[in-house]
Amino acid sequence: MKMIAQRLPSKLENVAPFIREVLVLMKKFHLSEEDTFHIKLSLEEALTNAMRHGNKLDPSLFVDVNLEVDEQKVVMKIRDQGDGFDEARLGDPTALENSQKPGGRGVFLIRQLMNEVEYFDGGRGVKMVKLTARKA
Amino acid sequence: MSLEIKVQEREPGVYLITPVGEINTDTALDFEKTSREFLPKAKAFVFDLERMTYISSMGLSSFFRIKQSIEEKGGTILLVHVSAQVQKVFDVVKIFSEAMMASLEQADEHLDSFLDDVQKGKIEPKSSSA
Repeated sequence: MKMIAQRLPSKLENVAPFIREVLVLMKKFHLSEEDTFHIKLSLEEALTNAMRHGNKLDPSLFVDVNLEVDEQKVVMKIRDQGDGFDEARLGDPTALENSQKPGGRGVFLIRQLMNEVEYFDGGRGVKMVKLTARKA
Repeated sequence: MSLEIKVQEREPGVYLITPVGEINTDTALDFEKTSREFLPKAKAFVFDLERMTYISSMGLSSFFRIKQSIEEKGGTILLVHVSAQVQKVFDVVKIFSEAMMASLEQADEHLDSFLDDVQKGKIEPKSSSA
């Protein structure tokens, strides 16, 4: 198993370099392209949500990331220092009345792409699990 | 994770825009800004997504705002060559499903019909609240 633990200041320009680092690590596990796409997207959505909506892009606040990768799964925990949020209060982004609202799409995508999603600490943290397949 | 954007005016007011790379947190605003530069003259944007390897919800929001802007002036957008993985992201906002075309030829046919309807006054600009 490989692990990454990192504390990122809440600046959006920190997202892409961190994801690149994660992708380098995941390459060693020969994940399928589809799984890699889903993990990358869910990680980007969770990190940008934590920085933008959780920490309000305050660079003095941090986002803590813990990743564990093994042969069967990828587990990602992302936690911000904001006020937390309640997923149930987000509208369905596929509903016509919500189609023009920008929020909620990232949260919805994570639900679609991950095998397990669990919010903790009043919504300040999210744990995402992707069960992985090897490349054919 | 860089993005290159190629733009070709296929006929007056009809722009073929080809993003090459990823539309993510870093690149979404540049993509939107570049597309908007052609908005004043645009009747239609055709986005060829064959070489767009990734899109996040930030990119999705950019596409959504571009769609709103061009529809407000009576134009339209079409998406061609959308991969299965990218389509899954677009499916979050279901209103893009009618804009998806399998090929440029299909997009051309659709546009011919659309522009014909515009000339005949059958299509009105959409308000942003519609």
